[in-house]
Amino acid sequence: MRHFLSQPTVRRLFSAIAAIAILALMTGPAGSTLTPTAGLTGSFTEPSSFFGLFKTVRWVPFLVIAMVMWGIWTLWLSRGAQVKDLANRATAIPRAATQRRPIRWGIGLGLLVVGLLLPHIVTDPFWQAAMVEQIAVYVLLAIGLNVVVGFAGLLDLGFVAFYAIGAYTTAWVTGALPTPPLFGIHMNPFFAIPIAIIIAMLAGIILGAPTLRLRGDYLAIVTLGFGEIITIFANNLYGITGGSQGTSAIPHFHLDIGPVKYAWGLTPVPYYYLTLIFVVLFLAAFSLLEHSRVGRAWTAIREDEVAAESVGINPLKYKVMAFAIGASTAGFAGVVTASQSNNIFPSSFTLSFSINILVLVIFGGMGSIFGVVLGAIVIQTVSMYLLHSPPAGYQPSDLYIYLGALLVVMMIFRPAGLVPSKRRKREITLSEQQHEGHLDELLTGDTP
Amino acid sequence: MTTDRIFDVQNVTLRFGGVVSLNDVSLFQNRGEILAVIGPNGAGKTSLFNSLTGVYQPQDGTITFTGRDAKTISIIGKKPHRVSNAGVARTFQASRMFSALTAFENIKIGAESHRGIGVLGAMLKGPATRRGEKESDARTIELLDFVGLRDRANIVSASLSYGDRRRLEIARGLATDPQILLLDEPAAGTNPSEKVQLTELIRKVRDVMGVSILLIEHDMKLVMALAERLYVLNFGSVIAQGTPDEIRANEAVVDAYLGTSTHDAKGV
Repeated sequence: MRHFLSQPTVRRLFSAIAAIAILALMTGPAGSTLTPTAGLTGSFTEPSSFFGLFKTVRWVPFLVIAMVMWGIWTLWLSRGAQVKDLANRATAIPRAATQRRPIRWGIGLGLLVVGLLLPHIVTDPFWQAAMVEQIAVYVLLAIGLNVVVGFAGLLDLGFVAFYAIGAYTTAWVTGALPTPPLFGIHMNPFFAIPIAIIIAMLAGIILGAPTLRLRGDYLAIVTLGFGEIITIFANNLYGITGGSQGTSAIPHFHLDIGPVKYAWGLTPVPYYYLTLIFVVLFLAAFSLLEHSRVGRAWTAIREDEVAAESVGINPLKYKVMAFAIGASTAGFAGVVTASQSNNIFPSSFTLSFSINILVLVIFGGMGSIFGVVLGAIVIQTVSMYLLHSPPAGYQPSDLYIYLGALLVVMMIFRPAGLVPSKRRKREITLSEQQHEGHLDELLTGDTP
Repeated sequence: MTTDRIFDVQNVTLRFGGVVSLNDVSLFQNRGEILAVIGPNGAGKTSLFNSLTGVYQPQDGTITFTGRDAKTISIIGKKPHRVSNAGVARTFQASRMFSALTAFENIKIGAESHRGIGVLGAMLKGPATRRGEKESDARTIELLDFVGLRDRANIVSASLSYGDRRRLEIARGLATDPQILLLDEPAAGTNPSEKVQLTELIRKVRDVMGVSILLIEHDMKLVMALAERLYVLNFGSVIAQGTPDEIRANEAVVDAYLGTSTHDAKGV
């Protein structure tokens, strides 16, 4: 009996059943104070249909899913290497092709054309608005956070703070806050862009200079706290920020240079193009940055800070710089959002917002600009789709369950992200090998 | 002309809590000299290196470094990157490469680290940035040739052999344009033929580039072949100094370190 249970195949079967049982509980009915166990029993015994084919009780389809999962799992372990090999061979040619410069430019231009034509293909007003508010702005935020997390390797859990600073700066200089605006002039939001970028950057430097001496987890905690502080300030400084009511009087962008007059309004398409221009500019700047000596210095610090210092790199300076660049990108995104939606509320600048952006970066592939953009588009489109036309039984609050599950699956099968950066991928493989090496040492008791 | 000292260490004491790692150590190195520091494990050799490069801050004593411009600066209290910028390069005992980067990139990082930062220039890729890139590339190729790794330029440094990694680390250090190169057990883990190559390379660094060499090494053959002068450390103190021949004849050193059949196993 003992021998039977310790067989890997059997253990996998139990794990599959356990995982699916949790899924059944998660999606099952809730109990109440009178029947506290109703959720538990109902999850398995409630009548349900067998994938729409015939009527049965819940545990039957779930058990079938578990068996299928176990089958795939076992098969993957025995034939997985062959599948991977096949997939590698299939993608080898396109992968080699994308290394070449003209092809990369071609792909970039193709994507840009798609981006330009998109509002004419997608005409549903929900999606047009989502393209600006939920996708383009998030792409901007994700590539900004990628500089901090992906390039410099700093875990920033308070990214929302800089976004909020950008948004509130816009409200301030356009005269939408209870505080009188800068120089008493109600400015065009265009002028808010440089001011917001500078203020967000300064905030990044002020926060970064003392805290970036900390490593890893400590930095995450400090940034987490900073994010909360900014939200609480926005909420409680009633006379300055308008408190929890926020403000709803931020003007739209408008151009007024001699004969050129244009005003952005409530329709999302002009905003889409405006944001697209900025996204392209930021993308170009950050890809150049990645392959400059600044990008290489960040990689060096990320890989071995002591060695980086020994060749003359000042880690603190470069980290603060990454922080400031990330912060100013978020500040800029804040300007766009504030002006586009006219209103800002402290309740939208929460920790879960920071986490959301971090998920985009991790999912797309830390350090890979293309990956992060793709990750942001995929995740935001999926979550918008779920909001727009939710499948039966889906509730908006469930979103994070699925995003979390997706991230867990990603970490198992593609730990370096959807489109991993070459350097990052190497780092992960290297650290895994090292880890395996240590394990071998521990197990066999000899050192190589 | 008075003796031209590149490093002057006076009465340095380094403590970690109650443990005295360096005890009243005084030594100096002349410009252009190949100097070696030997001693048993735990004698404080690496602590000395870390004090010389700003990683550790000794509690007592002075360490001064004199550059080519005859300006003397104090090392104590300086951050490692400032020490590097002043002209002190080093390698590590367990070689510390940027493992996910290629040999070329590793050296290039060293070559460009003492330029200004220029974020805006990098983002716009202006003419100055382009010129800087070209200069660093040229310098990198020069150094790859110098250490004989040109054909392995695009190999990820983690996949290089041990000996190649040692040479790469030396090249990365040289890329910072140093006046002195500190080598922490460069021969550790290399095979005999690599050791010969390494000996030649180290001598070439001094002869061709005019870079002084400070060496920690356990391999006595290599030390005796290379070093012009030696210091022997034991329990954090200098117990002897002199030419290789003098050291070989020094009884205290033989006792503490080199060992003879009769004294063996008694010392510890």
